[in-house]
Amino acid sequence: MTALLRYQTALLLRSQRWLPPVLLYGIFLAAGAQGGDPVLDSLGVAAAALLPVTAWLVRICATQEPPAARHCTAAATSPARVHLSCLGAASGCAAVLAVAGTAVITAMSDATSTDHQIAVPRLPAATAGLLAALVCALVGAALGALLTWPVLRSTGWSVTATALASLLALVASGSPAHSAVYGLVTGSQTGTVHLPLLSLTASAAIVAAATAVVCRLASRHG
Amino acid sequence: MLRGVDLDLPPHTVVRVEGVNGSGKSTLLRLLAGIDTPTEGSLTGRPRTAYVPERFPAALPFTATGYLLHLGRIHGLGRAAAQSAATEWLERFGITEYARTPLTRLSKGTSQKIAVAQALLAAPELLILDEAWTGLDTAARATLDGAVAERVAAGATAVFVDHDPRRLADAVGEVHRVEGTALVAVEAVREESGPRVRIEAAGPPGAVLPAHLPGAPGRETGLDSTTLTVAAVHSDALLRALLTSRPPWHIRGVAHLVPEDR
Repeated sequence: MTALLRYQTALLLRSQRWLPPVLLYGIFLAAGAQGGDPVLDSLGVAAAALLPVTAWLVRICATQEPPAARHCTAAATSPARVHLSCLGAASGCAAVLAVAGTAVITAMSDATSTDHQIAVPRLPAATAGLLAALVCALVGAALGALLTWPVLRSTGWSVTATALASLLALVASGSPAHSAVYGLVTGSQTGTVHLPLLSLTASAAIVAAATAVVCRLASRHG
Repeated sequence: MLRGVDLDLPPHTVVRVEGVNGSGKSTLLRLLAGIDTPTEGSLTGRPRTAYVPERFPAALPFTATGYLLHLGRIHGLGRAAAQSAATEWLERFGITEYARTPLTRLSKGTSQKIAVAQALLAAPELLILDEAWTGLDTAARATLDGAVAERVAAGATAVFVDHDPRRLADAVGEVHRVEGTALVAVEAVREESGPRVRIEAAGPPGAVLPAHLPGAPGRETGLDSTTLTVAAVHSDALLRALLTSRPPWHIRGVAHLVPEDR
């Protein structure tokens, strides 16, 4: 499994296909968070931005290996393991973005509430921001996995569905990503830090279920 | 596409799958390789498997060695073993000069050699070849034939599809033909008309020839030596078996026999 993960990660990093989603993440951060903004608000933006970015990364990883090459790796291991390693490589990349984004935002933001009246300690804020980012990354990974090969094989539908589902997952109440981001933003108004532990558990369960489904489908003909 | 397929793959066997174009040969091979799962029924046993596709895509961002190292690790080799296996197979296919060339810059034939090499890296127990010879030059075809014979001599099973009916003709143990939706067993006819190799070997006093020699050679026992005649494709594997048997046999002579009518 480690060898597969290393192979898929190398495929992703060497192909330069990671560049567009990572750039998108950078643009989201640059547009949504300025230096001196309240820290929790900016962390909310960073977390929300990671959802579509992770879905995109998963899409890239799930389709990056040409079929004949995938057949070789699948015969050596199993189609499910190969697909799991694709999801793992994308999620690993998203986790790196989550850590980097949280660190940058925490450092450049103002450690106060939205009205700049109440002080917000940086370390707990960063922890909550990182957890919220991970929640969004997990939800994004689940969406990306469910809306690309081997479930949806048409590129057009897959991209459209992933974009719409990402938006929906951020605005629909009941979505763990929505509540994690909402927790940061409302916390910012009162200067309190909420750790999105429940959302994290829920998103982990969602991504585990989605992974089980898509890995099972990976050996379906074609 | 295929129904009611009941296939047992014994060790030490080369299995040829036949059928017209589009009959489902490749589907069957992918099922056997564990790449696809059957809609009904199942596969039992999961030997260490390697698969060679007909056309290997060059669209991977690795060098030839880089790709083989990754695949060696994926096949379960350690770092050092993967490195030496990659070097060995690049040498055997005579493409050492392309070791550091990106896959995207390799010719079709050289890419195909890489596809074959990745399958042979980790000495698989089940080798699935889907027209793997297509695009290989004559020398590489012979190397692949020899490598298949070698794997089979070591106890592996090789299953292949190839448009050339003479492919591995003197090594094939079973033939199955896809007819409609069924898989039909066909009588395997050993091709004896290909080039053969005669090996004269002498054992230590009282030694008997090892059982299950590669290629089931014909044997003639002389006064102080034994003459073995085997299809050329098996000759390397047979020599290796003789030299590595315990006690080892001494090789006195090797002669290449060309069929008179060709």
